[in-house]
Amino acid sequence: MSAANPISIENPLRRSADLFRRYTIYTVVVAIILAMSVHLLVLGTDWARMGSPSEIAETAISLLPNLNFIPKIMSPLLDTALMAFWGTLLAVAMSIPVSYLAAATTTPSMIFTFPIGRGLIVLSRSTHEIIFALIFVACLGLGPLPGIIALACRSVGFMSKTTAEAMENADRGPIEAIVATGAGQTARFLFGVVPQVFPIFLGNAIFAFDANVRRAAILGMVGAGGIGLHFSEQMKSYNYGNAGACVLAVVILVIVGEIISNRIRTKLISG
Amino acid sequence: MALLEVNDLRKSFATGEKALNGIDLRVEKREIVALLGLSGSGKSTLLRCINRLVDPDSGQVVLDSIDITSLGKHELRKARVQMGMIFQEFNLVNRLTVIENVLSGTLGVVSLWRTITRAFKKQDIHRAIELCSRVGIAEHITKRADQLSGGQRQRVGIARALMQNPKLLLVDEPTSSLDPKIGAEVMELVCEIAEERQIPVLFSVHDIGVARTYSQRIIGLQQGEKIFDEKTSALDAKSIEHIYGFAPDGPSAAGAH
Repeated sequence: MSAANPISIENPLRRSADLFRRYTIYTVVVAIILAMSVHLLVLGTDWARMGSPSEIAETAISLLPNLNFIPKIMSPLLDTALMAFWGTLLAVAMSIPVSYLAAATTTPSMIFTFPIGRGLIVLSRSTHEIIFALIFVACLGLGPLPGIIALACRSVGFMSKTTAEAMENADRGPIEAIVATGAGQTARFLFGVVPQVFPIFLGNAIFAFDANVRRAAILGMVGAGGIGLHFSEQMKSYNYGNAGACVLAVVILVIVGEIISNRIRTKLISG
Repeated sequence: MALLEVNDLRKSFATGEKALNGIDLRVEKREIVALLGLSGSGKSTLLRCINRLVDPDSGQVVLDSIDITSLGKHELRKARVQMGMIFQEFNLVNRLTVIENVLSGTLGVVSLWRTITRAFKKQDIHRAIELCSRVGIAEHITKRADQLSGGQRQRVGIARALMQNPKLLLVDEPTSSLDPKIGAEVMELVCEIAEERQIPVLFSVHDIGVARTYSQRIIGLQQGEKIFDEKTSALDAKSIEHIYGFAPDGPSAAGAH
């Protein structure tokens, strides 16, 4: 080995034998992925039905938004925004007890309550909002309410996880000082933990709202109210122009939502 | 009878390290006592075992004839109210205002409802304002705690401890996070207030100068054992060398290093 030779000084992180091995591995991995994807993309596509380029262009043009349809969808669009709002609010409310259980520093019992808190978080985070919506539409019927509950169930995991982590990372000093005054569990939590966690909590709630606006637009497609319901109706009846108008409306809603949440966030940071 | 009595207090940590190895000490009414020792000598652990922020393994802490070490949760909370604690890093709640930090000194006695709604009693608010002006932060009471300088923050910590109407002040390295001038001001304030309100003080410190200037008695700790306990005037170069393991400010110190 050349390591014993003091003249040829090699960067120990970039020895040629290692480099060769590394790039061989990269090449093999890329080749395997490509080989598997041939099956997916080339054999899996219905080339016969795709139509000529001009037909593709025609369909694409027919999706251009029909602006006359926009006034008719303002009301469901507002419904979508309100669904996002209430879903987020419900998630925020639910995340307070869940994060209390799921933070190692606050949970009453590491054996009983901690796994319950963590389990709820995993359940919420690993289930797609469409799944939740399908379940609640089946339970509660069509309309915005199952959508709101679905959004809440989807966001509560994110809110609880980030809040629990913030509580675990809270500075121990002030908490110790509050305990030293003879304060009980509630005072310890409200005065020692909450003030430290609150700005992070609020920032994440705004982030969750942002994501929920986008999610709420989709949920209508499975019957949970809002703009999505109209989009799927128009698609099914081949009114591509109207469907395009729905998409445009959602894009605008998301942009507006993002502007508002950005405003609030910068205010929070500076204030 | 002494106000505070500690008998054969022992504490080992999970790592097996013996933090306190059979400590006995007394603090009389109206006495200011310094706990002197190097970092890791057990000063902080000793203070925290007295109000049981850290539970001792064995031994006894008796405050005003109440055995703190035998108390259940509820009685312990009541006993903690009797002991105001001041911390090295101030330990204020940064996002709360100065007055709220001071008022948090009443959390051991106010009702659950007042805790949740933050509706402190009028007379407590008056007392908090009075304490703020006593410690010299009257003009900052509505500022957030993190807007204050180190010395001001420690004054908030002092006011919070006094808010408990304590029988004893436990003070953990009050000057270590401050520059010497501000540290001296803070120590002077603590001693003045202790004199005014006749509250005994047990403070830990690693600076001999601070210990000498402000205490009436010095307890020297080394590796969890008490190796010195005399009037401050009895602290000579030899006893310092004993406590520290070397002579830090003697004329021979420069050569010894």
